Amino acid sequence: MLELQSIHKTWEPHRGERRTLLSGINLSVAAGQTVAILGASGSGKSTLLKIVAGLEPPDSGEVLLDGKVITAMPPEQRHFALMFQDFALFPHLNVQDNVAFGLIEQGVAKAQARSQAVDVLRRFGMHAFALSRVWQLSGGEQQRVALARALVTQPRVLLLDEPFSALDAELRVHLREEFRSHIAQSHMAVLWVTHDEVEARAMGSAGVRLQGCALQALW
Amino acid sequence: MPKTAAPLAWAAFPLAFLLVVLVAPAARLVAEGWPADGMAWTVVWMPWQDDYLRWRLVWSFLQALGTCAAALVLGVPLAWVLARYEFAGRSLVLRALMLPFVVPTLVAALGVLALMGPHGAVVQLGGPDLQGTAWLLMYGNLFFNLCLVVRAGSDALEQVSASRVAAARTLGATPWRVFRRVEWPAIAPWMMSALCLVFLYCFSGFGLALVLGGQRYATVEVEIYTLVAHELQLEQASVLALWMLVLTAVVALVYATIERRLAAPARADLLPRRRPRGLWQRLFVVGALFVFAVICVLPIVVIAWKALWASGLLPGTESTAWRVLLEEDTLLALWNTVRFSASAVLLATVLGLAHALAARHSLWLRTLAFLPFLMSPVMVAFGLLLLYPSWSGNVWMLVATYALLAYPFVAKAVAAALDSMPVQYLHAARSLGASPWRAFWRVTFPLLLPALRRGMAFAVATALGEFAATLFLSRPEWATLTTLIYQRLGRPGAANLDSALVLASLLMLLTLLAFAFIEHADWREPHHA
Repeated sequence: MLELQSIHKTWEPHRGERRTLLSGINLSVAAGQTVAILGASGSGKSTLLKIVAGLEPPDSGEVLLDGKVITAMPPEQRHFALMFQDFALFPHLNVQDNVAFGLIEQGVAKAQARSQAVDVLRRFGMHAFALSRVWQLSGGEQQRVALARALVTQPRVLLLDEPFSALDAELRVHLREEFRSHIAQSHMAVLWVTHDEVEARAMGSAGVRLQGCALQALW
Repeated sequence: MPKTAAPLAWAAFPLAFLLVVLVAPAARLVAEGWPADGMAWTVVWMPWQDDYLRWRLVWSFLQALGTCAAALVLGVPLAWVLARYEFAGRSLVLRALMLPFVVPTLVAALGVLALMGPHGAVVQLGGPDLQGTAWLLMYGNLFFNLCLVVRAGSDALEQVSASRVAAARTLGATPWRVFRRVEWPAIAPWMMSALCLVFLYCFSGFGLALVLGGQRYATVEVEIYTLVAHELQLEQASVLALWMLVLTAVVALVYATIERRLAAPARADLLPRRRPRGLWQRLFVVGALFVFAVICVLPIVVIAWKALWASGLLPGTESTAWRVLLEEDTLLALWNTVRFSASAVLLATVLGLAHALAARHSLWLRTLAFLPFLMSPVMVAFGLLLLYPSWSGNVWMLVATYALLAYPFVAKAVAAALDSMPVQYLHAARSLGASPWRAFWRVTFPLLLPALRRGMAFAVATALGEFAATLFLSRPEWATLTTLIYQRLGRPGAANLDSALVLASLLMLLTLLAFAFIEHADWREPHHA
């Protein structure tokens, strides 16, 4: 169970001026549950994900995992996975090495990590591209590789930041189904950030809206 | 990188280096020229009261200003042609614009002499001998600086919004009026920034002025060298150095002010390049390219041709100047050039990388990386000699000076690459379990490699061609190819000039090889995702 308790975050648009971005954010996501977070651009959705991932500290409040406070834990020790809207695949590595990246960081030997990466790619129908460079792939293929990279380490929490926003409408609908099936098998807590309500309702078992620095439950 | 402690750790080495090798020597130089107790302030004004020294200062200023004006008048049309027209060989011209950045100063000076000197191609074709006039130095200045203005101009023109140009045209503006009223106002700040750099380079120029200026048209930097190395007039040299520092600092301040106001480039709405149509457009393109060829390419072509001729390798020629390549002096100079440059580039790489990483979130740290550009090699070497006289016999002082002059290229290239690197890569690596160090090693560093190589290539070119500081700090047994060329130029006779030409070609070849090796080495080349 992932929990956010009274998260507060400000930012400094100009020198000497502070504005509240997130205020009193409380949220719980159980294992196997997907919570969709809706909100307009600049509402603080991505910042909230970064706080959960440990990439940014909150000004106050706590992040808990299975009842344990992890607010100050560095991101690499949380065993979460974060997916970005522009995929953030490493351009200097091929597809297989991108997917194996997290495994190698966990201490898995390179050869074994690559073999595991190819197995995961096979599940995504991408094993034929294992040795391809990431820029040779289409948008949908890159998104599949990004999800494979996120899932291969079997993270405890999956964080998705507008994962389909760079894709066209048809591909988006197709990938939604595919992602739902992969995520259901992995049985982890998922936070899905989007500004598209149709996507949010399709993917989220629960939905909240981030508005005026606070969360409102939608369904 | 975390935003707190890590930048300070990265900054420690380059900052300490700058303090020891640049700031402290500069302070010592100022102290030497500053009136001490009981010394009259009139000493400081001495260069302006002495006709000879005043001419040096005024001429240094005038030749820099003249070069700026000529570079602007000749460079803007070429920049416009490169930004707006598509033509065969355009990419070749863009590549050739890099040439002056890698050509050693002394090689360029020899190129100008081979073209316009007493035995130059122009004289052989019946033209005037321009030795002893200001034209040689102005031509040399333009060779180095025209490309800088053209690059800045063409980059800036490519940022001009296509819709603004289209709006101006539909409102009745002719292409010329569009340039005057839309394009020029947009690119003017970039051009002013480039011209400040041109002014700084020319004002504090040494190598070209030493070889091409002669007695009358030498610059203040040459005068300082003469006063220190030949006349041992340290006090007079220090006062001149003080004035140079003040005047350079004023221009540097103007440059920094302009740079701060430059908006970040926006590439959303690009004007497509088109093929030149009609006679006038074709003539315009040909004319601009002709100017470029005459100023930026011809000296290199002539020096290569003259060197080939002087080497005796062409049928029908009897010169045996190529034998200079086998002389003991040459082999020693070649070895010195390679080992000093290699050590300096290694040091410059570490310094530049550390500085760029440290400066990622700090504007003032970033500005400090430009300090070595603002203080001329002559000033640096003079300050070092004054501050650390007992180290003058230490080869590491020479290597450190080379590294000081070369490392801003590395820092600048890496900083630009860091700026354009999406932060998501780092975030993705961290969320996939990589510690800050592992994320740097496995993601940031490999992605920085192309920029690092580019910076290193310029650092190599700087170190291999370094001449001013070497002349100050070098000992006879540390002769490099540049000092050897200068020695040969100083000796009378056509045979020595031929030897200098052959040595200059060797240096040019070495620089191009090192540049190409580093720039194009087939390492793991990252491409855009």
